[in-house]
Parts: sequence; structure tokens; C-alpha cells
Amino acid sequence: MDAAEVEFLAEKELVTIIPNFSLDKIYLIGGDLGPFNPGLPVEVPLWLAINLKQRQKCRLLPPEWMDVEKLEKMRDHERKEETFTPMPSPYYMELTKLLLNHASDNIPKADEIRTLVKDMWDTRIAKLRVSADSFVRQQEAHAKLDNLTLMEINTSGAFLTRALDHMYKLRTNLQPSESAQSQDF
Amino acid sequence: MTEELDLMGQDSDGSSEEVVLTPAELIERLEQAWMNEKFAPELLESKSEIVECVMEQLEHMIEKFFPHVLEKEKTRPEGEPSSLSPEEFAFAKEYMASTDTYLKNVALKHMPPNLQKVDLLRSVPKPDLDSYVFLRVRERQENILVEPETDEQRDYVIDLEEGSQHLIRYKTIAPLVASGAVQLI
Repeated sequence: MDAAEVEFLAEKELVTIIPNFSLDKIYLIGGDLGPFNPGLPVEVPLWLAINLKQRQKCRLLPPEWMDVEKLEKMRDHERKEETFTPMPSPYYMELTKLLLNHASDNIPKADEIRTLVKDMWDTRIAKLRVSADSFVRQQEAHAKLDNLTLMEINTSGAFLTRALDHMYKLRTNLQPSESAQSQDF
Repeated sequence: MTEELDLMGQDSDGSSEEVVLTPAELIERLEQAWMNEKFAPELLESKSEIVECVMEQLEHMIEKFFPHVLEKEKTRPEGEPSSLSPEEFAFAKEYMASTDTYLKNVALKHMPPNLQKVDLLRSVPKPDLDSYVFLRVRERQENILVEPETDEQRDYVIDLEEGSQHLIRYKTIAPLVASGAVQLI
């Protein structure tokens, strides 16, 4: 899966906007949205929020967790714990990137937020590398990865699964068995 | 007003029963089917009513594994849901016929007479069901068998909690993907 496809899934997440236009309720395949009234907050999927913001039709409100103090606490907690701590959103990375790229004017202390989220990401990816390494060394057959987000899994997932597949094949071919396939001439 | 879509479902005594899905649920199912198909090492059950958008993925996989797909279809017991929709089956048969003709004209007819047959079933690689996959649990499962690869390690069982995420070999959990109890990620 590409990062773009993960971002596509992330764009379904709901965020709050303040529109500057009026529109009656709209009926989309994915669900009903609106109605929209100037100055009144309304929840919409991220893809629509970004689109409206780009057309200067709304202001975006940062999610409740996108706050410097809260993120500092989360980052410190993540650094302290050896395992993965729960993240404020299963799509925290994508939300941060899209909101900060398109609506940084609506988000207080945007630069600090960017740095804090990046720190959390780096810590988690480092932990992922360490645990993938020990998974392989100890030849485990199963791993539990609660609290990992799709984007994190996707970053090393394809490589990790292909490597594990190859290693499995090499290992099972060491033991002679009828299920080992070889070429006949 | 959101329209509701009628899907034909089958209940246990074989009589047809209408399953009513909202468009939002249909999109959700489509996404789930898309992700499962993308990450599974084998071809999964055909969901003909939502398959149009998954066409590309399937075409690629059918092309990769075509003799095995046709073999599986030939030996499928009565009543079990097909892995291929009628259009896909036709495509697979035509692809097989074309490949046959191609190999014959480009290489085989120039070979000595006793080497002119090629067994596609043996020469084209089978889907690798031992591939590792990531999954998220939708319905709690108990006593899933984990078979480690080395002789020194015993088989052991694990429980899959709802909402947890895992990395494991596809073979053990394949039926859970088909039933919808887990989602590949």
C-alpha cells in the first residue's frame, strides 16, 4: 500500500470547520453532511475540509489533541515506555501533515506541533525497528502490534513481510519434507 | 434522503434473501474487500456486487496465478461461493488459452517433439499461503494455532482480542478473512 493510499483512508476522519457560506444538508454516498451556516461549527470529513479551505470557504479548527502541552506529555510518555502507547488518533500523522500544510494559519504554535509530532513518530519508528529485529532474531511466528497506526505499519510492512516470507522459505527447506518443491528434469 | 441498495444474499437453506445495505455501508464493505484483497497472498471470494472497483487488483493476481485459479474453480464443490465472477472466469480461461498459444508459437513448436508440452499448473508458481500479513481483529477469536517454523519450538495457541493488531502467517487465519472476523491491513 502506498502512503498516498493510507492518506486516502485517513481523509475520512471527521474534523470541525467554520464555514463562511450557506448550504442545505447534502446527501453523499458516505453519509449526510451539513447544513452549513456561516460562523457555525460543523463536522465534515478531512477531504472536504481541506478542499473548502483551499477554496477559502472555511476556517479549520485543530482537533482537541493538537495542543502543545498535550503533545509534550504524549511524547514524553512514548519515550519512557518500551511498548507503543495509544495515539490520539489512528491517523495522527496524516492529520498533522494535512492540517499543518493547508491550514497552519488556523493552528496555534504550528511549528512546535510539527516538531512534537515528528518526535513521537521517530520514537515509534525506532521502537518498530528494534522489535522487528528481535522478531526475526528469535524466529517468532506471531507478533501483537496494538497501538500501531496504519501509516507506521505501512512504512516498514511491505519490506518486513517479504523478508519474513523469504526467511520462512529458507528455513522450511532446511528440513527435508515432501512439501518442499523442486524442479524435475 | 439516502437511498438504500438491495443486495441479494443467501441464507442457510439456499433460498435468496434481500440484504439491505446503505450506500455508506457499501463503501465501507468495498474498502474492506479492497484492503483484504490487496494484502492476501491468494484470491479471495468474489464479491461480485462490489467488485467493479477492485478489478485492477484482481486482474493482476489472476494473471499471476491463472492455472491454479482455474484448477481451483474446476474442483470447487457445489454450493461453495466462487472465487471468480462469471466475467473473471471467462477472462481467466481466455488468458490461459492466449498464453498457451503464445508459448506454442514463440518457443514450443521449435523444440524437439517430446518436449513440446508444458504443464502450466506445475511451472507457474502457486499463491504463497505462508506469506506474513498484518491484520486487525473485528470479532474476538479464541485458540488460534501458531506454528513456529523451527523444530525446537512447540505449537502454541493465542486468543485474538477485538481491536488488537497482529503480524502472523496467512495460512492460519485465512478462514477468518473470508468470514470477516479479521481485516487485513
